[in-house]
Amino acid sequence: MPESALILSAVAIGIPWLAAILAVVTGRQSRVIGIAAASACVLASGILLHAAPPGVSLKEALMVLYSCLAMLAMLVLPRRDSNPGTIAGMLFVLGSTLLAYSTENLLILVAAWILTTVPFFRTQWFGARTWRPRVGLLLSSIALALAIGLIAADGGAMSIDRLRDQSPGGMAVFWLLVVAVIFRKGICPAHAWVADAAEGGPAIPTALLLNGHFGALLVAKLIVPLFPHAAQNLFPVLSYLALATALYVAIRALTENSPRRLLAYLALSQSACILAGLESGTPEGMTGALVHWFVVTISTMGLFGILRLLEVRFGENLTASRHLGLAEHAPRLAVFFAIFGLALVGLPGTLSFCSQDLLIHGTLMSHPLTGLLLPPAIAMNAVSVFRLFARLFLGKRRTGFTVMADALPRERWILAAGVLFVVLGGLFPNAIVSLGASVRGVAGPVASASVSSRRAP
Amino acid sequence: MDFSQATLSFAVLAPGVAFGVLAFLWLLGWVPTERVISRITGLTFSAAIFALAMIVWRLGATGDPSVVVTFGNWFAVHDYHFPLVLMADRLSLPFLGLTAVLSGLIGQFSATYLHRERGFLRFFLLLHLFAFGSLLAFAAGSFDLLVGGWEMVGITSVLLIAFFQQRTAPVENGLRVFAVYRACDIGLLLGVFAMHRWAGTASFAGGLPDLTGTQAAIVSLLLLLAAAGKAAQVPFSGWLPRAMEGPTPSSAIFYGAISIHAGAYLLLRVQPMIVQSPLASAFVIAIGVLTAIHGTIVGRASADAKTSLAYASLTQVGVVFVEIGFGWKWIAITHILGHATVRTLQFLRAPSMLHDYHAMHSAIGGELSPAGQHLEELFPEPVQLWLYRWALDRGHLDTILDRFVIHPLFRLSQIFARLDGLGLDQPVGQQEPVALSLQSSAGRGAD
Repeated sequence: MPESALILSAVAIGIPWLAAILAVVTGRQSRVIGIAAASACVLASGILLHAAPPGVSLKEALMVLYSCLAMLAMLVLPRRDSNPGTIAGMLFVLGSTLLAYSTENLLILVAAWILTTVPFFRTQWFGARTWRPRVGLLLSSIALALAIGLIAADGGAMSIDRLRDQSPGGMAVFWLLVVAVIFRKGICPAHAWVADAAEGGPAIPTALLLNGHFGALLVAKLIVPLFPHAAQNLFPVLSYLALATALYVAIRALTENSPRRLLAYLALSQSACILAGLESGTPEGMTGALVHWFVVTISTMGLFGILRLLEVRFGENLTASRHLGLAEHAPRLAVFFAIFGLALVGLPGTLSFCSQDLLIHGTLMSHPLTGLLLPPAIAMNAVSVFRLFARLFLGKRRTGFTVMADALPRERWILAAGVLFVVLGGLFPNAIVSLGASVRGVAGPVASASVSSRRAP
Repeated sequence: MDFSQATLSFAVLAPGVAFGVLAFLWLLGWVPTERVISRITGLTFSAAIFALAMIVWRLGATGDPSVVVTFGNWFAVHDYHFPLVLMADRLSLPFLGLTAVLSGLIGQFSATYLHRERGFLRFFLLLHLFAFGSLLAFAAGSFDLLVGGWEMVGITSVLLIAFFQQRTAPVENGLRVFAVYRACDIGLLLGVFAMHRWAGTASFAGGLPDLTGTQAAIVSLLLLLAAAGKAAQVPFSGWLPRAMEGPTPSSAIFYGAISIHAGAYLLLRVQPMIVQSPLASAFVIAIGVLTAIHGTIVGRASADAKTSLAYASLTQVGVVFVEIGFGWKWIAITHILGHATVRTLQFLRAPSMLHDYHAMHSAIGGELSPAGQHLEELFPEPVQLWLYRWALDRGHLDTILDRFVIHPLFRLSQIFARLDGLGLDQPVGQQEPVALSLQSSAGRGAD
């Protein structure tokens, strides 16, 4: 890595951590500190992306995406939640996630992986009320640490580049990495913690954690490049699990009336599609997975953000069991919610229409039978999104609320920026689709080998 | 890009641009007046109609069979391409013209009909989006692009059914219609995938993809599923009366004219493929016949004007499907154009139907003679009673769908919920009762 890139990466990672300390120490203007730090990350990551050679800019693109996401989160965070502890925690997660994205060293990767989970172990910070999120995150961290430990014990180098195609540590390491993915990503049967975390923890920081997509990162960054042969033969197992998760969680969401839990299921089902695309081994599937990564990240953050804004305005006992008629009070929030929701499930004209088109083609190409699970899962998710929208925003106007509570200018502008991203991304998808070459570059031989073998009539 | 190509692009994009600009400015805080909205609508559709008329004139003058505009690929990955191709040929031009003319007409009608109605802007935004979706679907030169327009039509349809959002019945009925649309659209997605898989393309600008007999049959049946869902054919007809909850102008253009015929357009587009497969042809004819019979019987027992008209539409679309199944392409197109025009007029006059009848009774000095009753009288009385009960429950189609699809799915979801709660002291989340699943037993439409 050139020295300038190294410095910029250090800036992008270090500034959020320093800002987190500053926010806690000063205890004032924490949102301003958070936004300034996130903006600095966006700038540094943007310069890195601009300087990166075409075709190998995946990590830089993900850094830009996550920095923008953190900025969106800071701006949409209601004043009630905007205390130094929350801002510092979000900045800490931002710095740790950028570290995980940028590193090529296994020890640093496992450290960053664990650091991102730290705020979610403490109930006073971002921890959920139930034990399952802590166990899920803990088991994923243990599995990854064991895998890296075995690689170290095997005497291998700790650089991902040097371990490429080496299958370090053999099948034990491969399966430990798969276990880490299953727990971190919330793949069936380890999916329940995600909904618990969303329901029992703070909405926006939890969305920030989930949108790190560390499971997908591990697949794209570690499993596929390090274990190309095992990946080629054994990946269908993980792929089947991801597709089954997408369908299982989509069915589960059909009767869920807790808005946070329902959104978590939708995010989970759509995230499973990312994994299924990455594992398909086809260029369409892998590119679709990357594009979908962008869509899911922005849309779910928008949805969780709007839900939190509604909770702050109308109380935290929102439910989808009856019609609340909130569109009368907050018409713009209703429209933002509808756009983000439908963008998550393939609304034409948004980026997800493109990503789901690629995902369906990619998964069906590699798994003609199990790939058939994907379209019904997406269709059911669309029904759940519309049900949640209809129950929250439509119906008879409630009389208990006396104030107009539509989006404030700060919220309106940042949500409009999110909408612009998914819509303009949908109209001109090539900028993001071209990043798919980076994923395929990372996957390298496994992609081409599996494509040729699976496409054989 | 020559003149005809630029004109076609303009005609298709104009309503989309109007929608995008109005919607984005509103999101940022601008609220246009009714006068501004109706002027923009009038201008947009007048320009689109003029542009389409220019294309017809140019095609007539030059003798070209079609205008094709290629914008390259929307995106391309490896050897998979999503071509952006617009095409106006002898099949699509009548549909494009119908959409532009009727959308403009409905816009002008609604400016008065919905005057001072809450949601005036919302209605017009959705009308523009619907027109854009329809024009895109009809002008698409590939099935990939057609899917985009097709789904836009579906979403606007659902949002307009739920237009009167203060009442829960329209909202829940909209949800039900959305579920049926999405389920049936799986057929379209898989059909397009199959074309890519077997023929390497889903573009039809240079002719339909080259498929073998079996492949053509599979693709035709998948597309038939999507067409049947969109056109409310048996067994998906249950959503149509629910859709009558929307404002009358939207019912007119959706279920009297454009949306209900979009399925027929899809089948007309793949008609050479359907004809290639006797099995697919038989299915198209069978569904058409069953729908026509179902529509005429149920329509006779409908208690309100809009639902009766909706079932009358259904009957005619069923007949159109039969015509397509037999390969009578031009009869089907002529039938669609005539039917859409007359039915739109009937829907728009529906709110003043009593007034119209009184005027007719005054003019002829008595009551109009009832039509069609003699058909039922041919059956024995027990059969008549059975048919009446059957018609009142709309052929039990919703009940069958509830019992064999929706309720099992919801029960499965509740089993998953119990599994998710294992290991915890209390159940997780809040569960929707099966009886309320997509309002299966409540909110059966306008009546």
